[in-house]
Amino acid sequence: MTKAPHKPRLSFTGMLRRSLVHRRARSLSALVALTVSAAIATALLTLYADLNTKLHKEFRNFGANIVITASASTPLPPNALAEIQRTAGPDALIAPFAYAVASTDRGTSVVVAGTDFASVARLDSWWQLAHWPTAPNAALLGNRAANFVADEHNVKLTYSGKAITLIGAGRLTTGGDEDSRIYIPLATFTQWTGINPTVVEVQVPGGAVTVEAALTRLRTQFPSLQIQPVRQLVEGESRIVERTHALMYGSVLLIALTVAVSVLATLSASVLERRRDFALMKALGGSQTQLMSMFLLEALVIALAGVALGYIAGSAVAWGISQINFHTATLPRLSVLPLVLLLNIAIAALAALFPVRVLRTLQPAALLKGE
Amino acid sequence: MPESISPTETETRPGCAVISLNGVTREYAGHAGIVCALDHASFSIVAGEWVAITGPSGSGKSTLVNLIGCLDRPTSGELRIDGVDVAAMSAAEMDRFRADKIGFIFQQFHLIPYLSALENVMLAQYFHSMTDEAEARAALARVGLAHRAEHLPSELSGGEQQRVCIARALINNPPILLADEPTGNLDAANQTIVAELLQDLHRNGHTIVMVTHDPEMAALAQRKIALSHGKVFCHPVLSQVVTLKR
Repeated sequence: MTKAPHKPRLSFTGMLRRSLVHRRARSLSALVALTVSAAIATALLTLYADLNTKLHKEFRNFGANIVITASASTPLPPNALAEIQRTAGPDALIAPFAYAVASTDRGTSVVVAGTDFASVARLDSWWQLAHWPTAPNAALLGNRAANFVADEHNVKLTYSGKAITLIGAGRLTTGGDEDSRIYIPLATFTQWTGINPTVVEVQVPGGAVTVEAALTRLRTQFPSLQIQPVRQLVEGESRIVERTHALMYGSVLLIALTVAVSVLATLSASVLERRRDFALMKALGGSQTQLMSMFLLEALVIALAGVALGYIAGSAVAWGISQINFHTATLPRLSVLPLVLLLNIAIAALAALFPVRVLRTLQPAALLKGE
Repeated sequence: MPESISPTETETRPGCAVISLNGVTREYAGHAGIVCALDHASFSIVAGEWVAITGPSGSGKSTLVNLIGCLDRPTSGELRIDGVDVAAMSAAEMDRFRADKIGFIFQQFHLIPYLSALENVMLAQYFHSMTDEAEARAALARVGLAHRAEHLPSELSGGEQQRVCIARALINNPPILLADEPTGNLDAANQTIVAELLQDLHRNGHTIVMVTHDPEMAALAQRKIALSHGKVFCHPVLSQVVTLKR
């Protein structure tokens, strides 16, 4: 019987390695379970870490979350836009609006709004239109308002007896009031009507708390102006973010428990299978601490290997989910690693409770006798 | 044939009681109440003696092996191994004491399946103090298995596995060899080899406590201690050491 020689050195790590390899099916089963838990935890925590940013970014696409309105008696103060920008914060998007009711060449009354197209393009990126106008005499026609003019490409409007001819820059569809308006550049509007902006739409990035804080600052800074949040948006965003967080936490917990049960079954079977081995070690003088260490270290090694593999797999999953849903890459986050590590070690520890109890109550003589 | 093996100093002093039981009782709490597995057992085994423990199943042999092997403590009575009161030791002290004083030989060999013969012998060194490969190889050579050192248990015959088990029991040179049905799983040829090994160990001064059902193996011992329903019946007269004939 000639066999390849086995390495004769005997060490704690050597025994551990041999034991894991010898019971490769069980080791692999536990490794797969712990890898899955680590991968899911990594993916969810990575996404979770980026979730606020990504959801806020998504919510930015819905437009303003604060509307500032000046009354006819108290117009916006001079330099109002710069002050609002300063008060709302450098990340806030703001767009001024001035309104007037003019007549079209068909004699139909229409609301004409003067605004800064560049700002609106960022603030209301969800508006559906072919392209944002840039010319100083351009007119963006709301889908319904386009029917009020005789020629969409040559838009003739009159306000207080003053006529203006603008070049049609396409149609705008929002499904809201904007569809009934004609938007023109603010400078042209003011020059034509003599009316200054009375409304400023503000988009403050962040959750409800951030928006409320910005609201308070703005109300303090401009006590004469009517400053209102767009409640549906602010609270809706807050609710969605909170629920998504809760869903992610719940998922991680549920998966952790499922994996713990699976690992518990594997480790228990592993200890029950090797009761005689452990009994032998005890008979040879192995202390309770040594046997426990040997078993717990096995569980720890599998848990750590699961973390390493799961972190890589989970980061890839998070990247994929982020690409598909948010169209941006989520890079691996080292900051989630300690949490994933803790989770997997907790699962392994939880799963090891029963096997450790078996080890503690081991009866070597009876086991070695085959009873 | 094995080379000469010497036990520790204590065992080499003939007449000195290396194992002493005085009114030792071991009770277990069972479903039907308290079960007395060993009932006021009192006897001594002197250094260098070969004692066979016999008795039917359930007579208390395993309990006695447990106690002498320092794997359990008496409920009452005094058990002294090599002069030390077992009941007075902490769990950690008992582990240490067991590694020092007892060499186990099992009926089912109990070799770790993923360790080679050599490593299985070294395992006893590992739990005793530190491993010494040369010493472990020498122990295997003593039982005639130098050429099988690198083989896994699954690659060894039953007799070879039992010899590895004996080498493992001897590696730390313990004063007491506790053999539980050492030939119970062996064929006649291997039984003879193992019996000869035990005889050789005894000739070299080892104290052997052997649990056996086999009258021929029991006849090799100097004295029989019969157990029945937890009670001990000693055969006080030392018999002549006989040679196993198969």
